[in-house]
Amino acid sequence: MKETVGITALVPPELIYACGKRPMDVNNVVPESSLSPGSKLCAWTAIWRDMILNGGLDIDSLVVVAGGDCHNALVDGQKVELSGMPTHYFFYPFDRDTDYLRSQLDKLSKFLGGIKDERMFSLIRDLKSKGRALDELRVNDRVRASDVFSALISFSDLAGDPDAFEKTLDSVPETDVEYSSRVALIGVPPIYPDFHETAESFGLHVVYDELPYEFLRLYGSDLNSLARSYSDYSFAGPIKNRVELIKDELQRRRVDGVIHYTQFACHHTLEDEIFREHLDYPILTVQGDLPRPSPEQLKLRLEAFAEMLEVKP
Amino acid sequence: MNIGLDVGSTTAKVVHMEDGEVIFSKVVPSQRWIELIDDEQGEKNIVSTGYFRKKVPHFAAITEITTASLGARYHDPDVQVIVDIGGQDTKVIDLRNNTFVINDKCSAGTGAFLELAAHYFDIPVGSLGELHSQATKGAQINNTCGVFAISEMISQLVGGFSMEEVIYGLHQAFALRIAQMVPPADTVMLIGGTVQNTGIVDAVNNMLDSKIEVPGAPQLVNALGAALYMERLNDSR
Repeated sequence: MKETVGITALVPPELIYACGKRPMDVNNVVPESSLSPGSKLCAWTAIWRDMILNGGLDIDSLVVVAGGDCHNALVDGQKVELSGMPTHYFFYPFDRDTDYLRSQLDKLSKFLGGIKDERMFSLIRDLKSKGRALDELRVNDRVRASDVFSALISFSDLAGDPDAFEKTLDSVPETDVEYSSRVALIGVPPIYPDFHETAESFGLHVVYDELPYEFLRLYGSDLNSLARSYSDYSFAGPIKNRVELIKDELQRRRVDGVIHYTQFACHHTLEDEIFREHLDYPILTVQGDLPRPSPEQLKLRLEAFAEMLEVKP
Repeated sequence: MNIGLDVGSTTAKVVHMEDGEVIFSKVVPSQRWIELIDDEQGEKNIVSTGYFRKKVPHFAAITEITTASLGARYHDPDVQVIVDIGGQDTKVIDLRNNTFVINDKCSAGTGAFLELAAHYFDIPVGSLGELHSQATKGAQINNTCGVFAISEMISQLVGGFSMEEVIYGLHQAFALRIAQMVPPADTVMLIGGTVQNTGIVDAVNNMLDSKIEVPGAPQLVNALGAALYMERLNDSR
């Protein structure tokens, strides 16, 4: 049985598999959790922290993305480390410095025991290519956004088993999607497990999921190419680069409006004003806290936004 | 006949329109919304809105964001921003870019906040505007939380401020909360039953640089918007 490495945000899964271990994105279990952590800012980090501390997640070590993305994870990751979990801290460069990221990947590789199977790089590159094809099907209204999202969000760890995950990708059903408006979902992923289904129930077809698209967009065949690609990780770098990337995708995917999901106590919430100033689309900002089925407040906002886009009062 | 039925958290309103003109309107407490329905009319000409929009008879049910937009534009086609102060939430709609924000997590800035204050003073909520106009200065009230604002009110009464001055300060705190949600605009229309409180209108007017508009029957704007939407649907049938 391969050792399982928990990851708290995007860590190149290619490298973890190439080092002979299996990644587990500890965020992926959060939306289905019923925990209400006593000590928390962001529920995402607080819940995976408590799940690890309580033995509810079967991992052998933890890689904390502590620089360039989630700052709360730096503290919650240390709480996990102090409990005895082998823990490594991974830092993205803000200035896209490829050499710096290469050094970070070297340290990570050493923590993981070194590269043992280089074939995993090309295998996962091919899977990401398949994921991008699925994403295009969604853009062309051939697959439901909720099906695509649940597949794409798992590209951070390929569900711990690339072979089984490929079968999951192959099984996403094609259908003619009917909708009233095309929307993009930017920001961190919603903590509500039924968010996409709820949006669909109001006629909103989510044609762009910002963060999962980053999982597909970045890849490499060795440490140098990984460093070049992942130094472009938009959530870790200057927001002006992220805004440009989003603008390109909004235009390419012909969206009518943008939903900005924000998480309570997450620093990304502060970016809302920047998006509103620089993205020339109707924008709906919603905020979540604890993982629960979509609350009525969210449904009202999605319904009203759908009306705004369709009825154009 | 085009009927707009707005059943909100506190009151239910109905507007009947014919040939683009309002021919009938009525307001009752929410629990008595059934009085607004005429059995002979059926639901085929009703567009409903408000919290209970899906619980009452309707041909179509739409949110208050859409009805407020339609109803406000009926009064002023060039209005830029709408502030709908409801019993349980406040909605700010920017018609220039089809965006809106809803405050429904905090009572400060909603009708519930004023109900709480009126209950404390044991006075009708409808008298707050008149008492506001009798004050020449206001007591400082924080705008952070409706519940804690009551304890602040008590402190200011203990400190020597009159009830009128405390109510004036309360309206200032209320208006500040609202103003934080409103983008810069030339024209802002205030709607919703709470806007019948002239103290609120005065305080918001002092807080914002925009031209403040209050339509004749601010509590009926959403029902009016629903009737206008019914008119659209009938025109396209």
